[in-house]
Amino acid sequence: MRPTAWVSSALSSVPTWRRLVPVALLATFALVTGYAKAEETPTAATPTEFTRAEFVHTGELPLPPATASWEPVQLPDSWRKQDRPRNRIGWYRIRFTLAALPATPQAIYIPRITNNVAVHINGVLIGVSGQIEARELSWNTAQLFFVPPALLRTGANEIALRLHPDRMARAGLSTLQFGDEPVMRQRFERRLFIQSTAPKFIAGLLTMTALLSLSLWASRRQETVFGFFGLLCLATIARLWHTFTRDVESIGWLVAAPSISWMMAMQTYFVLRFCAQQAPRFEKASLAWAAVSTLVLLFAGSQQFVVGVFVLNTLIGLAMLAVLTHALTRIPRFENLTLLLAIYINFGLAMHDLVNYQERIEFDTLYVLPLGGPLLLFAVAVLLIRRFVHVLDQHETLNAQLATRIQEREQDLALSYERLRTLDQQRATAEDRQQLMRDMHDGIGSHLMSTLALARLGTLSQHDMQEILADCIDELKITIDSLEPVESDLLVVLGNLRYRLEPRLNAAGISLEWAVNDLPPLAYLNPENTRSILRIVQEAFTNTLKHAQASRITLSTGVDYANARVIVRLTDDGIGFKPGLAAGRGVENMRSRAVKLNGEVEVVPLKGGGTCVNLYLPLAKMA
Amino acid sequence: MSRVLIVEDDAAFRARYAEMLSHDPEFDVVASVGTAGEGLAMLDLRKPDVLLVDLGLPDTSGIEVIRHASQTLPKCECMVVTVFGDEEHVLASIEAGAAGYLLKDASEENFLAGIRELIAGGSPISPIIARRLLKRFQSESIGPAAATPDGKSEVALSEREKEILLLASKGFNYPEMGKLMGISPHTVTSHVKKIYRKLAVHSRGEAVFEANRMGLIRTL
Repeated sequence: MRPTAWVSSALSSVPTWRRLVPVALLATFALVTGYAKAEETPTAATPTEFTRAEFVHTGELPLPPATASWEPVQLPDSWRKQDRPRNRIGWYRIRFTLAALPATPQAIYIPRITNNVAVHINGVLIGVSGQIEARELSWNTAQLFFVPPALLRTGANEIALRLHPDRMARAGLSTLQFGDEPVMRQRFERRLFIQSTAPKFIAGLLTMTALLSLSLWASRRQETVFGFFGLLCLATIARLWHTFTRDVESIGWLVAAPSISWMMAMQTYFVLRFCAQQAPRFEKASLAWAAVSTLVLLFAGSQQFVVGVFVLNTLIGLAMLAVLTHALTRIPRFENLTLLLAIYINFGLAMHDLVNYQERIEFDTLYVLPLGGPLLLFAVAVLLIRRFVHVLDQHETLNAQLATRIQEREQDLALSYERLRTLDQQRATAEDRQQLMRDMHDGIGSHLMSTLALARLGTLSQHDMQEILADCIDELKITIDSLEPVESDLLVVLGNLRYRLEPRLNAAGISLEWAVNDLPPLAYLNPENTRSILRIVQEAFTNTLKHAQASRITLSTGVDYANARVIVRLTDDGIGFKPGLAAGRGVENMRSRAVKLNGEVEVVPLKGGGTCVNLYLPLAKMA
Repeated sequence: MSRVLIVEDDAAFRARYAEMLSHDPEFDVVASVGTAGEGLAMLDLRKPDVLLVDLGLPDTSGIEVIRHASQTLPKCECMVVTVFGDEEHVLASIEAGAAGYLLKDASEENFLAGIRELIAGGSPISPIIARRLLKRFQSESIGPAAATPDGKSEVALSEREKEILLLASKGFNYPEMGKLMGISPHTVTSHVKKIYRKLAVHSRGEAVFEANRMGLIRTL
């Protein structure tokens, strides 16, 4: 397809359908808005891309005359390929003819220069790419120059470019496009976005990530994975810096080349730590190479060294790829493979840029490694999320297991407690049983035996026999009542004794007054102690019944908190206490029983003739 | 005239009971047997007003005889005659439907008085039994009894009944309790009889509850 309206024999237009799309869109836009009338400007549609120019290496600032030794060159033009020295200014000239003056504003768009240029139209300077004298490179920024309409002429026109080379950057000129200003601006901005805006954005993203990772590392030192990832981010930022920095003297340019080997070293550390792979020598080697290459690049500024380092980087990078591939595929998890893919792609991008840097491909090719950062971030995000989810899952499982274990422990505890309690009960029961046996042996057993002996001798009267047997039965009843768990309630014990004795008292014509007050629980009321108390009180009743000739007995209870004791008092209105043999022995029995309980029995004759028996019992029995 | 059935395996005791009862024209011993089987048969045959039963019978427990009597002869007063009047035996009898108990070594006077008292509507209670009952109704008032279809009111203790049990557990006798509560001794003793009946219903409720739980009874 040929240019429709204005064209130069020296130029060839490169219209493809892709380039027509935005133009068509713009044309539609223009039609709709009425800013442009298509019928009047049939020539404005297609921008022209110049692929041929003329070059002269004057090394001087003034525009060379038309008679200078211009030689034709093909665009993109690389000085390296042409073996031109980079210490002299060079001039490009592009001639073209316009059949008619364009009705719309025109612009010149240069995708890549790598150096500073001054652009002239028909001998008049229309713009420069930067501060030419300040060693400021436009190496990674596309250029757009507005063409003043007054400078254009019908027929022959000339674009002249003065190119200032710099030893830091490649010298050369990409193709050059001439066309409607909006179209040119759109292309310019699209390229600038990839060259400079996107890397800035990515650098911001990496800064945030680095901050997060490093603070995580700071608070959890054992998480070296995050530490090295943060450092990897920092190295990547260092590498990105020069893509949007024009000042060759700036720190961004200083760290640009060395940062690559640091990226590689940190990536090695990060991946190996992440896979929990032990390769300390390899790690240290990568670190050593980063240090050595940095020193070389900083102090031996020559471009031969830079290329040498980059080539070595490539070889070392291949070795690292092999190691990391091995490490990441050992357990082929999704996140490992994602990370590996990101690393491969980044390596590929780096290779592309190295080839580009070496100018083995077209001069106007973009640098793409700066765009690889997000890939790595994405891979690590996948990895972190999966790891986080895994940790959460584990945490939950662990919690559940812990709960189960605690429950089991609790059950075990309850069981062993229950077992202990049973043992304790068994022991207590055994003790009670032993005590009971002793009681039976010494009390009712010997009682019955002696009675039997007397009966055999024939010296026992019917009445005595009945009495002894009744005593034995009373004794048995006391024993049985004592076995009832009364839970420290002395009143129940006393009440039950009353219940047993009252018919006999009534039969003897004695009335019993029950003047009890509530008592605090007595913890020591086990069967044995209960029996002792019952026997003491029964003895007191029996004495009264047998000897006192009383008509009235009062049983009262009370608490003497001052002396920490309980009082059980039995008073009668009988003939008083006579120190007779039987009664005396009974009182002695009562006393000795009371002493065993840490208590005391007091027999007090009353003025009116009766007797008062006080039984003092401790509130808490001493061990 | 009260018609008395004696179920007691010891011939000496049988003879003694019959002898004591013969001294009071109010009582007529309609049968005196030595096994639970005979006792059950006599219950059906003679339909006595008073049952005196020993728990330790050779064939089955006297409890079975009491249960049968209280189920088939609601008007029959069941009395257990025990050696010691110990809580286990007495409570089991009350649960089966007995309204009172006598001690085997009781004097004739006390023995006959006990039966008369029971017929007049009073039941004896010892402090230990009172205490047991209190604890039992307290701990189980929200238990199986609540599940009985008879209604809770029938098995839950009234405040007055609780008070009687509390006083009894402290050793007070009926006249003293009556004085303390401002009611007649006779009212106190009939309250005790009611408590015993509640215990019997309560235990039947428990049995129903248990049966329900085991799936023996599908619908009530």
